[in-house]
Amino acid sequence: MLLEATKVSKAFGSFWAVAGADLNVEEGEIIGLIGPNGAGKSTFFNCLAGDTLPTGGRIVFDGKDLTRASPEAHARAGIGRTFQVPMTFEDMSVLDNVMVGAFMRHPHRSDAREHARRIVELTGLRPDQPGRSLGTPGRKRLGIARVLATEPRLLLLDEALAGLTPTELQEAISLVRKIHQTGVTIVIVEHIMEVILTLTRRVLVFNQGHVIASGTPEAVVRDEAVIEAYLGRGSRRQRE
Amino acid sequence: MFFGLGAYTPLLFYTLWGWPPIAGIPVGILLSVALSVVIGLPTFRLSGHYFSMATIAVAELIRIYFGTWTLVGAAIGLQGPATGRAWWDLTFRSELPYYYMFLGVLALVLYITFAVERRRFGYYLRAIKASERAARSLGVPVRQTKLQAFALSAAFTSTAGSLYAAKTGFIDPDSGFGILVSVQMVIIAALGGAGTLFGPLVGALILIPLQSAVNTKFGGGGSGLTFIVYGGIIVLIARFEPGGLNELWRRLAPRLWKGAHAA
Repeated sequence: MLLEATKVSKAFGSFWAVAGADLNVEEGEIIGLIGPNGAGKSTFFNCLAGDTLPTGGRIVFDGKDLTRASPEAHARAGIGRTFQVPMTFEDMSVLDNVMVGAFMRHPHRSDAREHARRIVELTGLRPDQPGRSLGTPGRKRLGIARVLATEPRLLLLDEALAGLTPTELQEAISLVRKIHQTGVTIVIVEHIMEVILTLTRRVLVFNQGHVIASGTPEAVVRDEAVIEAYLGRGSRRQRE
Repeated sequence: MFFGLGAYTPLLFYTLWGWPPIAGIPVGILLSVALSVVIGLPTFRLSGHYFSMATIAVAELIRIYFGTWTLVGAAIGLQGPATGRAWWDLTFRSELPYYYMFLGVLALVLYITFAVERRRFGYYLRAIKASERAARSLGVPVRQTKLQAFALSAAFTSTAGSLYAAKTGFIDPDSGFGILVSVQMVIIAALGGAGTLFGPLVGALILIPLQSAVNTKFGGGGSGLTFIVYGGIIVLIARFEPGGLNELWRRLAPRLWKGAHAA
């Protein structure tokens, strides 16, 4: 097992954003996390990346307990993440942005540069383009490229494909496939069902801080609890 | 405050044991780096303005303490050698040796800054400046990197203080630890363009002659005026051009170029 998250909880005051969520990830999987807005996906995700300290539970990655470890320690251990809002280093070029990630495992400038160049090529970006001049699709791609440069074994994608046009979406999906084929395990938070259905074989559905269903995407979209979480109680009566 | 440590240390060792001031410079650097770590560890939990306020508070504490501490001359301060025994006393009658000495140090500091910018350390600093959260997610050890940067700037500032003390041959709490010293350094950097290699150089080329002109024109009464001028510059930079002259130039240069072609 690559990642074992057991009974992870996070409380903000008296509000439990995540209440005892479990997630086990095998090496080589692509797993989807879905759920309505405010279901606790992002908070759970931030706990896995070390950005949020869980109130309870345990997160073990590759045999190491990372429950209370810093985001830097997560990156070094091999968990990489992207952000919903890409947080580009605006004043730096695409290549320099990616080099920041590459420096973690390649301390020398020339090695980091070469490594970053290969990754920029893979993502189809222009290395010398300034970060500030990128549009949304470019920023999302750069976010992925940057974290890929840290050579993660587990990649956490937080709505990395949201806000793209259908063509851009197809390109992004094929990019995620390419990354997966290089042997990276992926957990993806996404609203777009098309992405979940085409990319993942296993899905966890969050609602009100709990995992209410899990299984193949096809089974999950037919699950009564899931339909109710998305559409409300009335939907069942209408369909009958 | 590192400026003050750098200025006081060589003069103190000269006064106590007759050390040549040049030998006190590295000791000042060591003390400054040590102080930067001691201050940096607890205060890096603060961000933005709060960090600046904490460091100003420490500088003020040291200034007030030095003003009553007889070992360092209390409010009167310390004096360097009146006439140099040899070149290592860094006391010259002519201005020329100082000029070359400062020029040499400037070249060294610019070279170190340039080298740092190209290395991993420089990339990490720029990443932290842009987004600490994103930097950490990419494995950047934020606290450690900030501490190293703080220590490096402490070493630079301490050296500047030592040179100042060698040149004037005299230091007191106000000229070493006064708030104007720190404010001046920040304004010079902000005016030229903070975070750039030559920005601070441009800022100094404009600000220091301006200050000398004000002092000459208004004499001793002009020191209050310096504050007013600095305040004005801060307001202008913050309101209109946070990137300083460097940013202004980057925006205007292409337009000027085009204008010249059209004409």
